[in-house]
Amino acid sequence: MSLNFSSPMFLFGLLGISIPVLIHLLTRRQQKQIRFSAVYLLAQSQKRSIRKSRPNKLLLLLARCLAIVLLSLALANPLFSFRQSEAFLSTSPASIVFILDDSYSMRTQSKDKTLFDHALEYVSKGLQQAPENSEFSLVLASSPARVEQDWTSDKSTFSNKLKAQIASYRTTNIGDAIDKSIKLLESAEQKKKKILLLTDLDKNGWKEETFSEVEHLSPYLVQVLNFSQLQSDDNKGMVQSVKVTQEFLTQSRLLRVKATIKNFSSTVSRMPLSLFLEGKLVKEELIDIPPGQTLVQEFSYPLRRNQPLNGKVQISDDALPADNFRYFPFHPSQNIQVLVVDGDPETISHKSESFYLERALNPFSVSLSHIDPTVSTLSELLLRNLSDFAVVILANVSELPPDYELELEKFVLNGGALLFGMGDQVNAKYFNERLGNLLPVKLDSQYHTQEGNLHLLLKNNTHPVMQAFSPKTLEEMRRINFYSIYTVQAREDKKFKVGTWFSNQHPAVIESETGKGIVVVFLSSLDRDWNDFPIQPTYLPWIQRWTQYAARGLENISQQNLVVGEPFHQSAQESRWIVRTPDGTLHPLENDIFSDTFQPGVYHLFSSPGTAEQKALAKLPQGAESAGTFIVNIDTRESEPGKISQKEIESFLSGLEMEFLEPQTQTTRPQTSDGVPLATPFLLMVAGMLLIEGWMVRKE
Amino acid sequence: MENSAQKFDAQVLSRISTLKMTAMNLVEGLLTGRHRSRHKGSSVEFAEYKDYSPGDEIRHIDWKVVGKTDKYHVKQFEQSTNLKCTILLDASGSMNYQSPLNGHASKMEYARNLVAALSYLLLKQFDAVGLTLFNDQVVEHIPPRSKASHFQHILHGLANISPQGTTQIADVLGGLAEILPRRSMLILVSDFFIQNQDLKKSLKLLCSRGLEVILFHVLHPDEIHLPFEGDMVFESLEEDPTIGLDPQDIREEYQNVIQDHIDSFKKDCNGLGVDYVFLDTSEPLDQALSYYLLKRKSLIKL
Repeated sequence: MSLNFSSPMFLFGLLGISIPVLIHLLTRRQQKQIRFSAVYLLAQSQKRSIRKSRPNKLLLLLARCLAIVLLSLALANPLFSFRQSEAFLSTSPASIVFILDDSYSMRTQSKDKTLFDHALEYVSKGLQQAPENSEFSLVLASSPARVEQDWTSDKSTFSNKLKAQIASYRTTNIGDAIDKSIKLLESAEQKKKKILLLTDLDKNGWKEETFSEVEHLSPYLVQVLNFSQLQSDDNKGMVQSVKVTQEFLTQSRLLRVKATIKNFSSTVSRMPLSLFLEGKLVKEELIDIPPGQTLVQEFSYPLRRNQPLNGKVQISDDALPADNFRYFPFHPSQNIQVLVVDGDPETISHKSESFYLERALNPFSVSLSHIDPTVSTLSELLLRNLSDFAVVILANVSELPPDYELELEKFVLNGGALLFGMGDQVNAKYFNERLGNLLPVKLDSQYHTQEGNLHLLLKNNTHPVMQAFSPKTLEEMRRINFYSIYTVQAREDKKFKVGTWFSNQHPAVIESETGKGIVVVFLSSLDRDWNDFPIQPTYLPWIQRWTQYAARGLENISQQNLVVGEPFHQSAQESRWIVRTPDGTLHPLENDIFSDTFQPGVYHLFSSPGTAEQKALAKLPQGAESAGTFIVNIDTRESEPGKISQKEIESFLSGLEMEFLEPQTQTTRPQTSDGVPLATPFLLMVAGMLLIEGWMVRKE
Repeated sequence: MENSAQKFDAQVLSRISTLKMTAMNLVEGLLTGRHRSRHKGSSVEFAEYKDYSPGDEIRHIDWKVVGKTDKYHVKQFEQSTNLKCTILLDASGSMNYQSPLNGHASKMEYARNLVAALSYLLLKQFDAVGLTLFNDQVVEHIPPRSKASHFQHILHGLANISPQGTTQIADVLGGLAEILPRRSMLILVSDFFIQNQDLKKSLKLLCSRGLEVILFHVLHPDEIHLPFEGDMVFESLEEDPTIGLDPQDIREEYQNVIQDHIDSFKKDCNGLGVDYVFLDTSEPLDQALSYYLLKRKSLIKL
């Protein structure tokens, strides 16, 4: 409880009480003293006198003074507030941990504010009335729970920290928050210690497993303030999930968006549903969902371009807007398109150079490996459009069509991947002369050896491709026999890395960055002519991983459809990656991980030359190019309308002293945001005092 | 003694010397020889014989009767005595009230004149007069004497009064009832500002002992009319707590209270056959005395 004044200047009017006091003193008659005999009879008479009720002048003075005091107070516009709950009623200093539930369910609207705003306001106001020397700390309860402010006695510091808080889009983790709070209280200085939990009691935040580590031995007081009571409206529904598929028609393709909508309301059975593509509203429908039910609604939208799209499905606004929309990504081609150029085609298919390669890249007719190989002969090569492919594999190719090497260079410079496989058809002279810009090494000569002499050297191989294999697989791979290889010489003007060595100290796999793309050279054959590798089980994962590794780019990042707080992974390689968040800020990627995915929306990825140094960027550096997008959505479990009961909370926190308080609402009392105005009652009291004063004067 | 005599109004003394006061109930004469006593005693006039009993004076045995009857008889005579009167004067603080408003005599001055006049009158009739001064106890006691020179003692006692203390009239009367001679007269002069004291009971005790009691109730006009104006603080002349008030507020009620006070005394006295005389100090003393004595005379004639 508190009493504040909107116009405290009027309190100077209290000095006005000196006026009636002066009048009283000036008009007071001088008392005469007399020695009298029958004083006891006077006293008797005074008792019996009907005029004894004649007002005392002191009472009259009191009435006048009260009238002036009340008038001054009324003009100062006093506001009486009940808001200060018993949570802050204490005369002795205390150590208080505020656990602030900043999950997105606290974004629920209550009139013109969110529940989170109410909670912040509650703490801010209470803070001012907390006893001096109290210390405070702040723990945020959204997942992962974290200590936002360690112990401080400085109210302004704490208040500033509070002001900086905004509700997140994360889920709740009360168990961890309480665990952290108890640890904080153990280091608290004051004797009186308590936890003030400000939450909406959303059931999602109270998972039994998160309480297993909470130490309940300390008998701290936990005061729970349930802000969901302030909620003025209900969360009517949410977009639970969105699934996107495409359907191929004769001439075009259809985008099919399947949105799962959940209706939480008990009355509303119809709501509008909108589809946005690239920020534009493209479709809107009214859907019928029985109260409490879930509905899958499908949109069809014709696709004209073969480009990635980002979209959004949205339902009408309700008390909790955060779960009314859901973003989705769409990538027309989700498989890695690989062009396999067979330099030694045979009529008997298994003798062809590409036979094993094609089957290793996609072992089944349906694409499960996300690699889509297309086999082409040299003569068909000119008919192919390289831009349709992410990876080109030249398997035992002797010579390319005239000037086709220029096409390949362009392809690699723009981010394409080029894999070379050797063989008896390979024309080393041609390769060294015409493909000098692509090949990082010079082909020297063929090297032949006896069976069992040449193997891959796989010990201590730290290459990303090889790291994925288990030691057993590597041992199997090491036993593979190689009969023939190409020896190479380094080019002075080219940088390259040797991915794998042969046991005779010759390179087995060489890779080199060229432009945005990559060139990988395997110095033996990709069929069975020079080795046994294609018939070994390890061939399949080996070639797939090299293909996926080489084909880094748009496709593989787009696989990542994340929920809020889930980190985004991207192999940094040599280039520098920059992420633009939905609110427009730029962050360089550090250690291949981007963790700041706390906002739902479309995140843009840019690649930029150079290395990442700065923490934050003001604008995109020159030369940065879009490298795709990824999507972050909220975890809809937080939207489920269930609330946890007091009984359950007590069972979770057994051992701690529990107290359930209710924050004051604006709806229960006609009060301003600061309290109940008392000006009118005070003015009425002034009128009452003047009436009494008039009656007294008349009686005298 | 000269100073004391100067305190008394010579005119009053000379006026009251002409007045006669006669007792009402006792038949003893106001002046020697004018009244016969009901009491038996030694005198010149034979009344009757009585059988001798031990303790009777032997000189009263009528030896002639002894000779004739061989029995001892004692002669009894009608007694002819003087009146013994004790004047009881209130010397408490309240008697010292002096009005701040007018020049009326204080109650004590008035009472002194009264006592002196009565003493003079009684002594002139050869009656014995004594004076007792009291407040919460007996302050001074002058036993009754009938000598003319005794008047000087009375005057001396009156001159030395310094009124103070509270009035405890019931206690004083209770004590005096034991020592005062039976069938004497008691004159009580006071303002009777007594709280929670049963005067009636004390008077009853005195009457039962054959005393003739006369009450002179002396009050100042201020005490009757409360004529003050403005805020006043009343300090008690005795030991009552000080009270501050505007007399105007309670005047009417006070007058009723004091009148009730007077009436209750009057009523009690009538009930007990006690003479009650109310005296207002604004009235001349001789008029009041004359009125009383005339009234007593008319009652005797009846």
